[in-house]
Amino acid sequence: MLPHATTAQWILGLILVLSSLGVILVRKPVHASLSFLLTLLTLAALYLQLSAEFIAVIQILVYAGAILVIFMFVIVLFQDAHQKIEEEQPKSSKILLSIAGIAFALALAFLAKQLIGLVSISEELPADFGTVQAIGKSLYIDFFFPFEAIVMVFLVAIVGALYIGKKNDGTLMGDM
Amino acid sequence: MLYALCLGLFMPLIGFVTLLSTARYVGRRQAGFIGCTTIFISLICFVSLLISYVYTGASPQTYTLFDWIHFNSINANFALHLDPLALLMTLIITGVGLLIHVYSVGYMDHDDDFARFFACMNFFIFSMLLLVLAAELLLLFVGWEGVGLASYLLIGFWYQKPEAAEAATKAFVINRIGDLGLLLGLLLTFYLFHTTDIVIVSNSVETGFTIGAPVITLLTMLYFVGATGKSAQIPLQTWLPDAMAGPTPVSALIHAATMVTAGVYLVVRMHAVFTMAPMTLQVIGIIGAITSLYASLSALGQTDLKRVLAYSTVSQLGLMFLACGAGAFYAAMFHLTTHAFIKAVLFLSAGNVVHMMHGTTEMSKMGGLSAIFTKTHWLFLIAALSLSGIPPLAAFFSKDLILENEYLVGYEFLYYIALAASILTGIYLTRAYCLTFTGPQHLDSDQHDVKEAPSIMITPVLILTFFSIFGGFIGFSIGRTPWLEDFIAEVDVTYIEKELTTDFIWSYEGILAIVGAIGGVLATALVYSKFRDQLGKPIEFLKKSFYFDEIYNWLFIIPLKSISSWMAQKIEPEIFDGSINILAQGTQGVARALQLVQSGQVRAYVAWMALGAVLLIVYLVY
Amino acid sequence: MDVSLFVFVSLAMFGIGIIGVLINRNALIFFLSIELLLNAGNLLFVAFAREWENQTGLIWVFFVLIIAAAEAAVGIAIFINQFRTKQVVDVDQYDVLRG
Repeated sequence: MLPHATTAQWILGLILVLSSLGVILVRKPVHASLSFLLTLLTLAALYLQLSAEFIAVIQILVYAGAILVIFMFVIVLFQDAHQKIEEEQPKSSKILLSIAGIAFALALAFLAKQLIGLVSISEELPADFGTVQAIGKSLYIDFFFPFEAIVMVFLVAIVGALYIGKKNDGTLMGDM
Repeated sequence: MLYALCLGLFMPLIGFVTLLSTARYVGRRQAGFIGCTTIFISLICFVSLLISYVYTGASPQTYTLFDWIHFNSINANFALHLDPLALLMTLIITGVGLLIHVYSVGYMDHDDDFARFFACMNFFIFSMLLLVLAAELLLLFVGWEGVGLASYLLIGFWYQKPEAAEAATKAFVINRIGDLGLLLGLLLTFYLFHTTDIVIVSNSVETGFTIGAPVITLLTMLYFVGATGKSAQIPLQTWLPDAMAGPTPVSALIHAATMVTAGVYLVVRMHAVFTMAPMTLQVIGIIGAITSLYASLSALGQTDLKRVLAYSTVSQLGLMFLACGAGAFYAAMFHLTTHAFIKAVLFLSAGNVVHMMHGTTEMSKMGGLSAIFTKTHWLFLIAALSLSGIPPLAAFFSKDLILENEYLVGYEFLYYIALAASILTGIYLTRAYCLTFTGPQHLDSDQHDVKEAPSIMITPVLILTFFSIFGGFIGFSIGRTPWLEDFIAEVDVTYIEKELTTDFIWSYEGILAIVGAIGGVLATALVYSKFRDQLGKPIEFLKKSFYFDEIYNWLFIIPLKSISSWMAQKIEPEIFDGSINILAQGTQGVARALQLVQSGQVRAYVAWMALGAVLLIVYLVY
Repeated sequence: MDVSLFVFVSLAMFGIGIIGVLINRNALIFFLSIELLLNAGNLLFVAFAREWENQTGLIWVFFVLIIAAAEAAVGIAIFINQFRTKQVVDVDQYDVLRG
């Protein structure tokens, strides 16, 4: 029983899955990060399909614009080290990994089968669903405390990242 | 009456506690004084009770002191029962006890542990009094155990001597075997009668059961097992000769006059139950007779003076049980009384000799001591003649009563065995006397200061000898029932109807007994005076008392010891420790297996998480 | 609106992410796969927010996004630290916390 969706959604879904597969399966890390970029863009398109405009834009700004860039930098930085992986033996038990992987895939398939007949509500949508104003209002009024907490988390993360990444010769950023 | 009773009963207990708590502070004189005074007060109380009992014509009465045990269906009160039988026993206990206490002041004067000795002796008197005065069998059992404990403490008084400690343990263990029987009997009593009150049991046993009912036979057999342990009958008799390792006053008091008679007392006290079980009475009679003969033969082969007297005690107890077996409970009590006096004299005069000879009891080291112990040897001789059954000394009447009853009831075979044992009594006692007091002297060179005992040790013996001469007359009279029988008859301890005692003495069996006794004594005296040097060593078979100890050792002790060592060396390390070790090793093994999960590999951790998620999905979907 | 497709796509992406974590030994691809997981979760949230017309779902996505960013930063820092020690990008070599 196929899900009821428009053609665009079908195509976008297909691209998403293929690009995810690309992320994990390609040989070179740079290609993997590029595939990841495609995934993120497709995801943003899917969010638009679901009337979540604000989230789509934020996704591109934050994920594709910031996180992916970090990853790109690091991957390019450690390109040479990637070859050395083949020299060593894998230390994790292959049997365990394969069993876990297969079992998980099967479990997900099983779960998907259960979700086929999902009931959905009528198509009436509030006009300002997913807009910046609505989300902003909701964020700053209903969820103000979590918002502030998130800011704290972010602050801690920044300080932590700086601390972990510093060199052991006493300075914060090496010779900089 | 109640106050006198309580005072008499608890005075020795007070003495025990006092002496024990002040053991370090009191001097020798004070300890002896306290020890003897308590018994003296006790004696006064019981004498006054006797006087008031006889002259006011009171009847047996039970005094409940306090409620003791109330547990489901087991009810017992701390109750004391005063009747002639108990009164007779208490007089014997406190009377002979007092004299022996006074004697001990002189005997133990070389010892440092004076206070402990008198404390234990007082405790013994208290337990024995509790035993005879108890109105409930459960309380009697308390006293029973108490005397067992006191016996252990007193036999092993010189605990540095290994043979004393071993003898004490042996006595206690063998007593315990008997106590098991008594305890089972108690439980059966509870089951049958729902109470252990002696009066109630005695009254209800006739109405509730038929004569010869198996359950009553079982009950009486269990009681008798207990009596066997305490009174050293076959097969539990091996402890009494070894118990002579204790001080001589202990042997006199406990193992001659009082504790070993507790078994006889039990049978007599429960005579109402015993008469309902004729088979048990037959067994008692047979065992009594066999023990009597066996012990007399063994006494003939001993070289230790005190062991001769110990076997003599076993033999006389056998005679008492023989009387019980014939249903002649009064005869048993009579002989108990006379025997108490006589045996005390024998032991105490032997103690005189032992004490002044600095502890030797081997008769091979003695001989010809009549020159030194001028007074003691006369007392020993009189008591020996009395116990042999020479008229008109005390034991003649009691022994003859037993033999007569035996014959009248119809147990002729047992009568002849008892007659043989009685004749042997005369023989071995005379032998002991001759080996100790007549003939050439064998004193070692370091014993040249041996002299007669001090008066504190002679006077009690003198008093007791007086009783052993004239004591028979309380139980014998011509033409009317004797005073003692009249006294005890209130508790109905006479079983068979019989004619007047006088008739027996002039019958064929009576004359046989008298002639046999006199003949035995004279013959032995002759042999030991003329042919002493030609007599070799005593027969080993008799000296080892038919190898009973060796048989028991082979039968019980060696297997038990081997099993114990096997358990200790094999079972315990391997099974008990091993199982605990397996537990520990199992835990370690599991830990080691689980350790493999912590590999440090992130991918492996994720794999485990994925598997967990699979389980979660399966669970949630269902 | 029927969001079944989005649910399936999300599940597929999640499964791919897990398998990516299990397969790859390169630490960076490892991290990328984890980001895939997070995105799959985000998609699910948005889809159900649309189906039940509840804006709270979108707020939640917002927070997840922020947390993902923070986590990526810290993760990269840790990775760089380990690389300085071990000189390899093999995730299997980062097993100091072994039992």
